[in-house]
Amino acid sequence: MTLDADVVERFRRGDDEAVRLVYREYGRLVYAVALRVLGQRELAEEAAQQSFVQAWRAAPSFDGDRPLGPWLATIARRVAIDIHRREARRATMDIDDVPAGHGALITLPPSPDAIHEAWAVREAVDALPADEHEVVRLQHLEGFTHSEIAERLGVPVGTVKSRSFRAHKRLAARLGHLRGDPP
Amino acid sequence: MSDDDRIGYLSGDDRPLAPADKAELDELRDLLAEPALWAEPPAGLEDRIAAAIAAEVAVRPQPLASPGGFGAPAALPPVAVPPVSAPVSAPPASPTVPLRKAAARRPVLWRVALVAAAAVVAVGIAVGLSGRTKGGERFAMALAPPAGAAVAVSGKANLVRTSSGWRVELDAPGLPRLDGGRFYEAWLRNAAGTLVPIGTFNEGSHVVLWAGVSPRDFPTLTVTEEEADGNQASSGRRVLSGTLALTG
Repeated sequence: MTLDADVVERFRRGDDEAVRLVYREYGRLVYAVALRVLGQRELAEEAAQQSFVQAWRAAPSFDGDRPLGPWLATIARRVAIDIHRREARRATMDIDDVPAGHGALITLPPSPDAIHEAWAVREAVDALPADEHEVVRLQHLEGFTHSEIAERLGVPVGTVKSRSFRAHKRLAARLGHLRGDPP
Repeated sequence: MSDDDRIGYLSGDDRPLAPADKAELDELRDLLAEPALWAEPPAGLEDRIAAAIAAEVAVRPQPLASPGGFGAPAALPPVAVPPVSAPVSAPPASPTVPLRKAAARRPVLWRVALVAAAAVVAVGIAVGLSGRTKGGERFAMALAPPAGAAVAVSGKANLVRTSSGWRVELDAPGLPRLDGGRFYEAWLRNAAGTLVPIGTFNEGSHVVLWAGVSPRDFPTLTVTEEEADGNQASSGRRVLSGTLALTG
């Protein structure tokens, strides 16, 4: 994933089209990182918006020779953790009223490694062809077996297996660290 | 273990693996099962981000460079940014992180995480207990169109005090969308008529705004129609207005 230098330069100037191009390239990733840190869609949305605004504010310090994505990932993680801390500081609820899974009670922000793993895996999954993407989603997110996926998609089990194997091979190729040797 | 064995395991084959390989691949499986990894951002987010940046561009056409990596200028920081004295180092050029290397660090990370999680649970309980006596400041208000408003739309707003300021959650889904340089702006107003801007937006569903003044002192919330024309004053074209009521 790369955006050409002209788009990045126009992003610095706040050009609406460039802002949208950057969002379309990285918005899903930024949102996924924010949601992974915060666990709530509303807060993740706020974090994603703040991440892009902060990226624009900080754009003059961005080295145009480096890829924009990892830089945005770092901003997104920082913003999400700031919001996580802000939410955790709220002292407005009775302990009996705190919902299960509330950030102040249960979770810590994921580590930088975990965030970058999530970014990399999401990026790799998004790059899959649509039919393979759907098989991987049903298998891992929904927890379906190959037979259940085949029934749901109306295709033979063998097709599901081959799509799944191809998909994971693509993931392995994109995420070099899935191989035995260091990338 | 061959690549095909690893890929086969990920794709659902229950083939025997060495424990270390299995643990590593199970981490990836766990990651792939996380809903956050598959979530799609809401449809209106792109427009809101574009509008938020456009609004800042209208105020300050060029962002300010900050020394030592990314940071934000002092103006309009709804979320705290990393201090300049602690610049953020960007992650490696490749966003991928070797799971094998990460796995090698993981035993230590897990121990740290478990200890820290226990500490957070303790802090969470303490916070919850203190909340019983301190209470939180929270206000709600109904929003209605003022007399003569061009659009007859109602809405509501919740204002919650946080350490960063007042979080204002405004919901007026009937407001027709404005863009192309036009937008809504929300304000808090005191008895003397002083207006404090608290944010701009394009449409009224689930808007989150931030105020640096207390609604106790600025108890009236208004929403106006504005244009990105360089004039920072209110246009006076009010579409919604509301009065505070204490709820907690």
